[in-house]
Amino acid sequence: MMLDAFLAGAHQVFAFDTLIYMLIGSVAGIVAAAIPGFTVTMAIILTLPLTFTMGPLQGVSVMLSVYVGGYTGGLISAALLGIPGTPSSVATTFDAYPMARGGEPGRALSLGVWSSFFGTVISTIVLIIAAPPLAMIAVKLGPWEYFSLIVFALTIVASLVGNSLMRGLIAGVIGLGLATIGPDPMMGQPRLTFESSILMPGLPFLVVLIGIFAISQLMGELEDHGKGPSSDALIPDVIEFKTWAVMREVLMHPVNLVRSSLIGVFIGALPGAGGSIANLLAYDQAKRSSKNPDEFGKGNPDGVIASEAGNSATAGGGLIPMIALGIPGSAVDAILMAALMVHGISVGPRLIMDNADLAYGMFVAMVVASLMMLVVCVLSMRLFLRVTDIPKQFIVPTVMICCVIGAFALNNRVTDLYLLGAIGLVGYGLKSLDYPLAPLVLGVILGPIAETNLRRALMSDGDWTVFFTRPISAVLLAAALLSVIFSIRSVLKMRKKDRPATDEQDGD
Amino acid sequence: MFRKIAVAAGLLAAAIAGPAQAQDYPEKPIEFIVPWGPGGGSDTLMRIVAMGLSEVTGQAVPIVNMPGVGGTVGLAEFAKRPADGYTISQIHEGLYTANKLGITELSYKNFIPVALVTSSPQYLVLSKNDNFSNLEELKAYAAANPGAVRAGVTLGGVPHLHMAMIEEALGVQFSYVGFRDTGERIRAAVGGNVDIVIGDVASASEFVKNGDLIFAGVGTEERTSEEPDVPTMAEQGYDLSMAVTRGVVLPAGTPDEIVEALDAALEKAMSLPDIREKMTNAGSADIYLGHEAYKAYLDKLDGEVDKVVGKLQG
Repeated sequence: MMLDAFLAGAHQVFAFDTLIYMLIGSVAGIVAAAIPGFTVTMAIILTLPLTFTMGPLQGVSVMLSVYVGGYTGGLISAALLGIPGTPSSVATTFDAYPMARGGEPGRALSLGVWSSFFGTVISTIVLIIAAPPLAMIAVKLGPWEYFSLIVFALTIVASLVGNSLMRGLIAGVIGLGLATIGPDPMMGQPRLTFESSILMPGLPFLVVLIGIFAISQLMGELEDHGKGPSSDALIPDVIEFKTWAVMREVLMHPVNLVRSSLIGVFIGALPGAGGSIANLLAYDQAKRSSKNPDEFGKGNPDGVIASEAGNSATAGGGLIPMIALGIPGSAVDAILMAALMVHGISVGPRLIMDNADLAYGMFVAMVVASLMMLVVCVLSMRLFLRVTDIPKQFIVPTVMICCVIGAFALNNRVTDLYLLGAIGLVGYGLKSLDYPLAPLVLGVILGPIAETNLRRALMSDGDWTVFFTRPISAVLLAAALLSVIFSIRSVLKMRKKDRPATDEQDGD
Repeated sequence: MFRKIAVAAGLLAAAIAGPAQAQDYPEKPIEFIVPWGPGGGSDTLMRIVAMGLSEVTGQAVPIVNMPGVGGTVGLAEFAKRPADGYTISQIHEGLYTANKLGITELSYKNFIPVALVTSSPQYLVLSKNDNFSNLEELKAYAAANPGAVRAGVTLGGVPHLHMAMIEEALGVQFSYVGFRDTGERIRAAVGGNVDIVIGDVASASEFVKNGDLIFAGVGTEERTSEEPDVPTMAEQGYDLSMAVTRGVVLPAGTPDEIVEALDAALEKAMSLPDIREKMTNAGSADIYLGHEAYKAYLDKLDGEVDKVVGKLQG
């Protein structure tokens, strides 16, 4: 029965026209994600109406290839431009970009592509063998567990602070503050909007991300113009990349690869979390368990592997609650479900029983999609690397235009563009003052999730102690506490080391 | 001199073209503003409507998602568009609650209702628990334990409205827990984190089949064809009507001929077998109310909402 369903599903996926559509989907996903401001979700929405005319499995397979391609594409602009191509590639910029700037852009890209590939494959394996029990755990988690998880996730700010703990914490608080502008997540009542129609809908996360990272980075490029030898192209020198050698390099870090992939799977399986959190969390864990945490942020291959395996693994992770229970793990999964529903397929806890060929076909499609992503990326890598030969005066305005279009296309609101400009200026200002930007973005991502779940928990049960009496919630809070203690210890250690040099400078 | 003649000729041409435009409507693509994000109920259903409309008129009907502040950002933008029939939008019951709670100045009266195209009957859904498994047991338990039953709703949204109607009809008191959308609420009910929710067939029936959730009643006049075993609320002694209906609207001031032409085109589109099947699959009842009937429906609904709106505040 299982084998029959598997073969039936595989038979449909391996049809020639399905494969051709999937290939187009893969390229589209990679390209859309590589352009800062364009997201995977947008690419999938554009695919949705096209799939109405296809068979259910064919339609979903095409969407999955867009999805898998999209989780990798963000790497390209993260590595080559230092701008995350999607919200899921923020941490990728930390090490892939310095590595590319250091003269190894080919290695940075190859590392990311192979890590993404292995991350997707590992997540698909987990999906196939453990979907039902994992989905049951994910659905039992209440607002208490979510809140505690977010508290834990907030402690990774300590890994992202850069040169100064104080400035990192301030950036995190600014992020949390920005996230409170707009309709409150529970009642929809306006907060801190000052009756301004620009602020009424709140600050969309993607607009903040593009403003903070892309606009400030591009302005920085302009500032550097004419200084030093790198003024013509972003990355000078001859580029070389060794596909197979890099594959071995990725496989030489098995612990990091598997740990980051599992983080991606679990975060992906939690409805409402997602690739952006997995990307940062996997990076943080890799940095903490490394023997040389000081090397991170300077082009460490472990940083690239962790961040890319982590975000790609959320693709398979997000499918866990969807296939096992009919509960979407992310916005993209919700669109996938809508596509199936339109074809008359009830996506629910009985999907694997009632439509086994479809469920197994989706597993096959995931593997095929990740192979396609790999082939497309390896074959087109030289083309992507040519981006680095383009003189800055062409690439900076082009990327800027893409950012503006992307910010508008998100909600089709002109007011978002004013916000983009303002946030870009703030980001540039903070960057110039050596404030780290990642904690700010983390605050914007996590703030609303924390608030929603805290309020939901207290609406369900007015008793505060529930946070400590529910076991998973208690474990997560304990982990958060340990994480803070660990961070304080390492800061103190660094202080001791630096003491002779920075004697009286206690300002940080 | 020649310029004047040219201008006059231009004006004349425009005057002739005016009524002709209504007859030829639509002669270019129609932009469809969906004031909600992609992937949700409104988005999925309206994409199918757009597909049908495009098939009937031969014009492209691109969907533009403009989400924000409970659907009011997109409608505010839509209200400013020219009333020429080339921008259409969609409203549902959420506009009533958003308006009555003071979130927006806009109400259904700011638009011309063209046609009601979908209706999703809403069900009272119970999570599996030891205390109650049908409406009467729920009433008895909630009466004995005021505030103990956790009801999952979208605060200030349509499900909140429906739950408040049930609360009032049963004469009991629930405690409300806020969720963003139906999927989130159903998930919380399956996980046992809330006790009762408002749901629909599309999001809940698979869990009911699987034994995780129970349909305790549906807010339609007669039992639905999808769930013939589920009693209506009226059958159980509570005359409640609970549905999410979605209709196509035009900006105020659109010429009557265009309203009629669009109504006719939509009616044709919604009767295409392919479109009907897709709509049913996406959880909508087979329904079509034209311009006049839809307007009457909206006016009646206005009175019903006024009765319970006080419960939504605070």
